[in-house]
Amino acid sequence: MSLFTGPMNEHLDGHKELTAHDEVLHLENPETVWIPLVNGAAPCTPLVNVGDEVKVGTKIAERNDHFYLPLFSPVSGVVTAIEKKMTASMKMADHLRIQNDRKGTISKPFAPIDYENASWEELHEFVKNAGMLGLGGAGFPTYVKYANPENVDLLIINGVECEPYLTADYKNMMENLKLLKAGTLAFHKLSKAKKACVSVKEDKKDLIEKLKETFAGTEIEVRTVKDVYPAGWERTLVYMLTGKRYDKLPIEAGCIVNNASTAIALGDAMLNGMPITKKYVTVSGDGVAKPANVVVLVGTPAHDIIEACGGYTSDDCLLIAGGPMMGSTIPNDQFVIGPASNGLTVFKNEPVKVVKCLRCGKCTESCPSGLEPVRINSAEKVKDIETLKKLDINSCIECGLCSYVCPSKIDVTEGVRRAKRYMALVK
Amino acid sequence: MKLSFKPSPNYRSPQSTDSIMRDLTICLCAVTVFAVVYYGLAWGMETGLRVVLLMVTSIVAALCTEAVWFMATKQNVKEGILSSYGWVTAIILTLISSVNVSYYGLAISTIIAILFGKLVFGGFGQNIFNPAAFGEAILMSSFAASNRTDLMTTATPTMVMKGSNWIATSESLAKTVESFGGFGKMLLGGYTSTIGSTCAILLVLCLIFLIWQKDIDWQMPVFYIGTVFVLTAIIGLAKGAGLGYGLFHVLAGGVLFGGVFMCTDPVTTPVTIPGRIVYAVGAAVLTVIFRWRSNFADGVLYSILLMNMLTPAIDKLFDGNQIKDAGKIRTRVLASTLSCLCIGLLIGMFGLKTTAEESTSGAAAPSAEGGAAAATNFGAPISLGNDFKENRCEVEEISNDGTQAVYHVTARGFGLIDPDGIASSSGHEYKRNEAEITIDLASKTITNYTLTVFGDTEGIGDLATTEEAQQLFVGKGLSDEVDSVTGATYTSESLVAMAAAALNAASGN
Repeated sequence: MSLFTGPMNEHLDGHKELTAHDEVLHLENPETVWIPLVNGAAPCTPLVNVGDEVKVGTKIAERNDHFYLPLFSPVSGVVTAIEKKMTASMKMADHLRIQNDRKGTISKPFAPIDYENASWEELHEFVKNAGMLGLGGAGFPTYVKYANPENVDLLIINGVECEPYLTADYKNMMENLKLLKAGTLAFHKLSKAKKACVSVKEDKKDLIEKLKETFAGTEIEVRTVKDVYPAGWERTLVYMLTGKRYDKLPIEAGCIVNNASTAIALGDAMLNGMPITKKYVTVSGDGVAKPANVVVLVGTPAHDIIEACGGYTSDDCLLIAGGPMMGSTIPNDQFVIGPASNGLTVFKNEPVKVVKCLRCGKCTESCPSGLEPVRINSAEKVKDIETLKKLDINSCIECGLCSYVCPSKIDVTEGVRRAKRYMALVK
Repeated sequence: MKLSFKPSPNYRSPQSTDSIMRDLTICLCAVTVFAVVYYGLAWGMETGLRVVLLMVTSIVAALCTEAVWFMATKQNVKEGILSSYGWVTAIILTLISSVNVSYYGLAISTIIAILFGKLVFGGFGQNIFNPAAFGEAILMSSFAASNRTDLMTTATPTMVMKGSNWIATSESLAKTVESFGGFGKMLLGGYTSTIGSTCAILLVLCLIFLIWQKDIDWQMPVFYIGTVFVLTAIIGLAKGAGLGYGLFHVLAGGVLFGGVFMCTDPVTTPVTIPGRIVYAVGAAVLTVIFRWRSNFADGVLYSILLMNMLTPAIDKLFDGNQIKDAGKIRTRVLASTLSCLCIGLLIGMFGLKTTAEESTSGAAAPSAEGGAAAATNFGAPISLGNDFKENRCEVEEISNDGTQAVYHVTARGFGLIDPDGIASSSGHEYKRNEAEITIDLASKTITNYTLTVFGDTEGIGDLATTEEAQQLFVGKGLSDEVDSVTGATYTSESLVAMAAAALNAASGN
């Protein structure tokens, strides 16, 4: 923030009290799971056939293009089909359907590792083979980030969780401090960073205290950031902690950023030899009867989870995969929780009074990417290509803040998306 | 059971355009209430009531115009009016008018402001000009003649300073400030100007409230008011009037009101913060230049209208990415604001009149002996035989030796409130003008005219009270005419009325 810019963030009412202090619901025995055979936009190749028996931890698929990522079965049972289904990012993809035999037979796919004594290469190979991926939402294979760590100043373990309503990371951290510590120390070792920190919002007093206890005597600092959105976005977080901006990747600013739940997953893999089979997922919002945090197996359909939380409270709801800012509404609840899912937000679908833009400029002041959404929207309306080129629309990460702050309740973010799509066609 | 689709995000700030306009309306109402109380207490119930009626007239005119428009364009009238916020325009327009505007002038200006200032551009959010400023420009240029002249005749601080060409000397400033009861009273707003622009403290409170509610940015008002202050304070320091000159510029006229309620109109101003800073600095410099050099007493209105025209260009200037283009943005802001400031300073240093050169202020030009000060400009002559009932002269014979009689005459003045003054029809006590007039009883002509008490507005009325002007009466009888003094017509008339009263008394009428 300087004299010439707005704050580039905004404090939102997170409604985290709905779920933050309640018991976590364990739903770890679904009848059937569907494992999406995608990672990001890349397809994964199934390693099992229909009719095969699998155990908890059996490697069932892998991504093998320029990146490598194994997927593991979260249940024991029989593969009954490979079928097309819509994913949480609203794309059709092949899913492995596995019938749960409810025996829970485990076959650990890899041995635990002593991260303190393992060599850097051994540890890096372990992260790759354990199928670690960014659990904050991107799902990016983790080992790639650490492939060539040079001149890293700061490793940031991101526990900010700035999406409103979501408390899954918070709960996960509160309950798995030992795993978080192991994962963080291992990432620190992998990153060869001069410093490392776990970063959370300053209002999470209880968590901060526990983190400080946990990391006492290690090199890991606990650093807090203001309770604003999008403090958890890499660029904003790096800027808040270091004052540096970067062009493409955080490593340009000397940082590596990893989600806290990824660190916990790595801790689980290293200490217990377990791959990612479960997720902490927040189910919240005024559209669901009993908001709660649930622990579910990867591949559990959203419908089952909502049912377990008391069902919908209205006949017309918005079901959002993720938090309400960046998560998209999905008009059916048959999609499944993927490894990178962390929430289901359900709202009653209520009409919004939209008025004309009054050019208040709040969107330009809050945009974390420094864009001018109001200018982008008006240029898009008249398809002013020259102006759209100047306005750097592809720096938009669709965080949704421009729509959030808009007092006229215009879908500003959607206008920027339209501009992006239009300019993609023009080129 | 239905699951609907809406594009993300599906989470909205509690702030809405309605809530912004509600806060704005609350602030404007507070300013209105202050105006009603002030005019009611200081100028009588009738004037206080007039403020209310003017406000009602303008709001009704605005809402009716919108209702007709939405009916004619086949839109939902209720929704249209509720999302067009015409009342805000109407209230601002009334508050930037003076209390003596005519009802029909205000009503027609409101209609034009709403219709041609806003609706024809596509309605709320689409207009180029600030509709209230647009309406006020119409009101000032087209309906000035319909103003009620008998209601209020005190000069506003900007008019007084304009009368002395905004001279930046300490004595002229001190005199003007003193005539409005000092800076303390100017802060509290106990003087007349445009209806809503007097109480500085209230306006600053409104500003703080609106910024605290995040209804407006702090940058625009602070840069606008700050630039006016800095620019005029520098000139004040350079010319000897000191920082008080800057303070006077901020407190007098519409700078605070414009800074809080008009510069911050989001629709007609740039959308980025650097753009808004450039806009605010540009408007501030123009305001001061207009005050110094134009025919208008105040420059707020036209500076805002001019900057409105530049808004699209300013927006274009700052198109880009605020992070990646930060260097470019900083350069452009500095270049444009500094060049505006330089222009303002140059005009202040070399274009602003000083006492020594060409001041027309009688108060500041005491060396009128022998007609050395050729500053008084005479205009249309006034006949001594006219009916001067309005001036309500009272005559008292002081001495009469058979050939010459000396009369002490008082007349209603046009200056400030004075508890010892003569009651006028509005129930208000004006300060008086008083003169001692000697008349040759044989020829029934004036042999000496001495103004003993000057009760009009200093800096304006005193143009007509120079010794040169008083000399004009010598040798005049009831059938003669006396030249009035340009720029001080009311005082001229008062002086002539007193002469006529004395002559009539001498003639036994």
